[in-house]
Parts: sequence; structure tokens; C-alpha cells
Amino acid sequence: MLKYLIVQLDDTSVSFCHYENDRTKANLIPLDTLKEAIFWSMKENLTLQFLYPDYVIPEEYKSEIAKTFHADIVSSTCEDENLRKTADVVVFDSLASIKFFPFNKEQSYVFRLTLSELRDNTQMLYSILPKVDRINIVLIDVLSFKDDDKSSYFECLSSLSDKIANEYKDGHSIQVNLLTDRMLLDSMNNCNAGDETIALCPDGNFYVCPAFYCDDDVRFNIGNITDGLVVKNPQLYKLDFAPICRICDTYQCRRCIWMNKKSTLEVNTPSREQCVVAHIERNASRKLLKKIREIGTFLPEKEIEHIDYLDPFEKLLLR
Amino acid sequence: MSNPIVKKNTEVWKSGVAKSITFIVTKDCQLACKYCYLVGKNDKERMSWDVAKKAIDYILSHEQDFTEASVVWDFIGGEPFLEIDLIDRICDYIKTEMYRLNHHWFNSYRFSFSTNGINYDSDKVQNYILKNKDHISIGITIDGTKAKHDLNRIWKGDGLERGSYDDVVRNIPLWLAQFPDGATKVTISSADIPYIKESVLHLYSIGIHEVNINCVFEDVWKEGDDKLFEDQLIELADAIIDNRLYNDYACSFFTERLGKPLDCVLDNGNWCGAGKMLSIDAAGNFYPCTRFAQYSLRNKKAWIIGNVYDGIDKNKLRPFLTLDRCTQSTEECINCEEAEGCAWCQGENYDAADTDTIYQRSTAICKMHKARVRANNYYWNKLFAKLEAEGQREEYYKNKKTISNESC
Repeated sequence: MLKYLIVQLDDTSVSFCHYENDRTKANLIPLDTLKEAIFWSMKENLTLQFLYPDYVIPEEYKSEIAKTFHADIVSSTCEDENLRKTADVVVFDSLASIKFFPFNKEQSYVFRLTLSELRDNTQMLYSILPKVDRINIVLIDVLSFKDDDKSSYFECLSSLSDKIANEYKDGHSIQVNLLTDRMLLDSMNNCNAGDETIALCPDGNFYVCPAFYCDDDVRFNIGNITDGLVVKNPQLYKLDFAPICRICDTYQCRRCIWMNKKSTLEVNTPSREQCVVAHIERNASRKLLKKIREIGTFLPEKEIEHIDYLDPFEKLLLR
Repeated sequence: MSNPIVKKNTEVWKSGVAKSITFIVTKDCQLACKYCYLVGKNDKERMSWDVAKKAIDYILSHEQDFTEASVVWDFIGGEPFLEIDLIDRICDYIKTEMYRLNHHWFNSYRFSFSTNGINYDSDKVQNYILKNKDHISIGITIDGTKAKHDLNRIWKGDGLERGSYDDVVRNIPLWLAQFPDGATKVTISSADIPYIKESVLHLYSIGIHEVNINCVFEDVWKEGDDKLFEDQLIELADAIIDNRLYNDYACSFFTERLGKPLDCVLDNGNWCGAGKMLSIDAAGNFYPCTRFAQYSLRNKKAWIIGNVYDGIDKNKLRPFLTLDRCTQSTEECINCEEAEGCAWCQGENYDAADTDTIYQRSTAICKMHKARVRANNYYWNKLFAKLEAEGQREEYYKNKKTISNESC
């Protein structure tokens, strides 16, 4: 069931996820389209999420957006200072600028990083852990992940886990998506693009998510705001129709539909890289859970079992 | 039937656990069959020796990725024997390299061909057959009677339609002398239905004991085709049983494992072998099956899983290797009381799907399958009653002619 509508306000809007938005030429969504989108979302009972460009959008757009419940997602480099302060989610494309950013516990923060950026600069994140309640780390080069990266990624997450455990020790239950989400979940909590979430882009078309607008290699729309939403083969966006994912317990995995399509040509099939990365995170979460329990009782009913594989595809083939 | 040049060697040939590797050596053919699914045939895309060699080098040097006990090196076109010189060179190289590398496929391989049979008796083809006699299988496609065959299998070119029956049937005796167990493949489209019975019986009469026959998977069926089809199969069933042809001849339309409901846990395998096979075309691209090459597709882009230069992208095989029956089927198919034996082609599913997916099963064949099930039930009920009455049932099972494992 559809729950969220992401509105990409401009061709240059911030990417908050795995995909890149390389567009540099501004192209703001028509005001009428925005109004239609808001009206439609209210009728469909959808939660709206707006992706902003770095430039300041016109006042008439702001006043339309203010008419409904919504979440604002902006880049840390957004020129609209007030928006940057009030946005629900602030996105960083590197760790270089975090030193002077006024982090607070009201906002969530997304760090879009390559694996090497994360590995080489993990300690830069340590300093902000006490200042925030939620950070999402998004690896933007998952599909380039190599088997040689496995141990270093696990070590990097383990180091971060030590600092997170310290926060818990100090009574601060911080959430870091890669490590704490799995501890808290009992079932899959994926992106669910195409099923629970869709995107509306500046051309007035719906997309499974903004990645399917920004990436010309996999671009296809699923209807438009005027004629309506047309999701063909909608079942393929559901967990039950994903043979690898439905037997998997990396509940925190994004199960990124865009990466699926890009790497395996099917929206319901993850690449080996996505599976391995998610399993390393799962196993690091398991270790973190143990570490936190050394401090005291914590989530006594939850358990993350030991498993001996990193890619459930292999498990499936053995059946 | 005497002096077959191909030995029956089940030790060498481990049927059922073989990797199928298909070289699309040419996209050209002498014929322009009306039902041919190859929409992009042409005389330009001929495989070069360089591409073929690179493909072989890649495959044989990645032994860990090809763990099947045996291999079928398959050659198709268009018409593969148009490229007999290239094929001969490829096969020599494969044999030499498998020996040099001490590859586990050495002495566990077969070269396989599906040909229109037109130049079967040429010196080059015959020399090739003699040279590879212990490791070869060849199927000649003949659709049945002259009327049925010439309805679809016509020569390429403008002007008056000219059927190819006479050009093929003259080679059947030679082929059967060399391959006594030779089977033929018959394809049924809407216009062919009235000829089914006489065609199968005709093929039996010219010495072909195994007829692999199937309806095309494309959405070509007209109102009433299912009833006509059922009537033809029942007439064929009567002819086979009344003339006691069931002991020595086989027709794949009639099988004991057909038409029962299937369970989504116990019977959830994929019908099609796409993804477990490998095809290579003239450009050096790899495909999960020939049906995913561009010349096979009407509506969709080719599904390329790699190439001879960069190798196979294993991520692009994952959807195929994890695909099961129920995940790609409609509720109607899942709950169908006659689901068993209802076939599909993954390539046709992809080509006909509403999105670029292999996970949407085409149901164009539904009413034809159900008609087949009814005729099949009739066949076995009639045959078993007769065998019981004659006390021959046990004997039948001991000696019956069976269908080989032709999947599509």
C-alpha cells in the first residue's frame, strides 16, 4: 500500500540515497504540478517528502508546501539557510564540512559516502555521535564492493560500534542505520520503493524512486500526475516476490530497487554486492548488540543468530 | 537402420547434467519459416573465428564456474551448417584445448545441431560428421507431410512461395542411417493444427521414431483453435493406439506426467533452463539463452549477461537462477487444476511482459495446454484399458519408446 510520495522539486535536487544526481541545470517542477501533487497526496493519505535544490526556491512554492504535513530533505550545502536549519533531513556528500555544522537532535542526517571515504574517515563521525539522535550512512559505491573489502568494512563498522556502545553507556540511545536498525527490527524494513513509496519528478511523471529519473540507464516512469499512477507488475516490488530477499534476515537492508535494476536487470533481485554489504552490517549489528548487553540488559527478546554466509543467493541455490 | 555412425555411449554422455553452450554462428538461413521466432535474421552477423576462440578460451579457462559434469556445444543459426568451416575449426579447437587443459569435460562432451537439413549431404557436412562421430547429435527439422511442412517452412526470397519439404526429405534416409535414434522437432502454430495427426504419422512412416512437438509460445491462437487441436490429438491418439505404434514410436504430446495440480513448495521449479545455458553471438555477447539475443526479440532489448572480452556478469544471472514457478505465475496458473506440464519459454515471457522482466509468465498457451491435457487423458485411458485387456501393461513399460530431454 502506498504511504509516501517523494517530490523531487528540481532537476538538481539533492540525492539522499545511493543514486547520484549529476544534473547541474536547474529545472523547477511547475507550480501547478506541485499543487496537483499535494492535492493528490492529501486525498491518498500519503506522507510527502520534498527534495530541495541548493538554490532558494520561490516563495509561492514554499507557501504551497507549507499547506500540508511533509518532511523537507536538503543538502548541507543548501543556500537557504533557514531551510537548512529547519529541514527534517540534512544530507552530506562528504565528511569535510561536518566540523562546523550545527548538528542537533531534532534533525536526521544522511552521509552519502564511498566505502573508502567511510573507512578512511570513520573517526570524523565519532565527534558528532553525542550531538545527534539519528544518522544514516549511505554507501554510494556498493556496486563496486569487492571481496577484498569485506574485512576492512567489518572492522570500520566495529570501530564505529565501539563508539555507539559508549553512547549507550552514557544513556544516549543513538541510532546509526547500518548498525542499530537491525538490532531493533523483527522483519524486513526496506526502502519499499514502488510499493510503499514513489516519486514525482519535475517532468510531472511518477517514478519508482528519484533514481529512476536521475539515471538515464534505467529510466522509466510509472504514470503521471495528470493521468494517474500506473505501476505495471506491482507485485515485483513486494518482498514476497523477491526470491532472494524473502529468505533473508538482513532486516536493515535498503533492498535498493534502483541498484537491483542496474546490476541484475530485475527490480526484485539484488546484486551479490548489495547482499554482502548488508550482511556485513548485519553481523556488525550482532556484535554491537552483544557489546551493549555487556553494559546492561538491552532488548532481551531480540536475537541476531550466527549465520555462515554473506549472500543468501548461495543458500537459495543449495535448496 | 544399419551401420549407425554414432555410437550409443552413455558413459561418455551424461545426459541431464550437462551445460549447454550455444554458438549463434550465423543469423542467416536459406529458409524464411513463417513461425520462426527469430525476427532479426540477416546475412551480415556471422561469427568470426576470433570471437569464437575468445569465447572458448574464456569458458575453458573458467572451469570453476562451469561445474556441470558434461557439456553440449550447441550450434544454431539461422542455419548452422551454412558455417560448417567455422564450426569445424571451433570443434577442433575445443577438443584440443580440453585435452591440453585436462579439462573435466574432455571425453564428456557433445556437439549438437538443429538443422533444416538442406545441406546435410554436402561433402563438408558429411566430413565433419565422420570426424566427430562419437560426440555428435543432429536433429533435422521436418514438420510432417509435404502440405504441413510447406505451409510454413518456405525458401527465403521474393516471388512465389516455395516449400522446402522435397529438399529436406531427400536427406532423411542418410540422416537416419547415421542417427537411427534421430528425433525431429515439430512446431505447431494456428494454421498447422489441421495437419497434426497426418504429420506425426507421416514422420513415423519415414522412419522417425521420436517426434518432439510443441505449440509456439507466442500469442497466435485464434478462437476455436483449442477444440480443433484437441480433436486432432484425439484422432492421433486413436491412430497410435489402434495401429499399435505406441511401443516403437513416441510423440511428446502424450506424456503420463501432465495435467495435475502443482504445489508451490514441492513443485516449484522453473520450467525453462535459461540462465543455466549460455549463448554467444557474432558480436561476442553472452546471453542466458539464445532467445534473449536481439534477433529473437520482437519488443524488448537484448538481455546481455557479459561478453567474451569481460566475461560473464554473474549478477545478471541471479534473476534466472532464483526464478521459480510460483513467483512468476498468475494466481490462475498457481491454482490451475491442470498445471503440470504447462510449459513456458523465459525469452517469450520477457518479450511479452508488461515490463522488462522475466518474472511475468505469458499465458498465451493456456487454452492449448488444457486441450492437450484432455486429449492426453483420453490417450492414456484408452491405452491403459487396451494394455490391461491384453495383459501387456508391464511389457509396455519395459519396452516403450521414450522421449529424450528436449526442453524447447
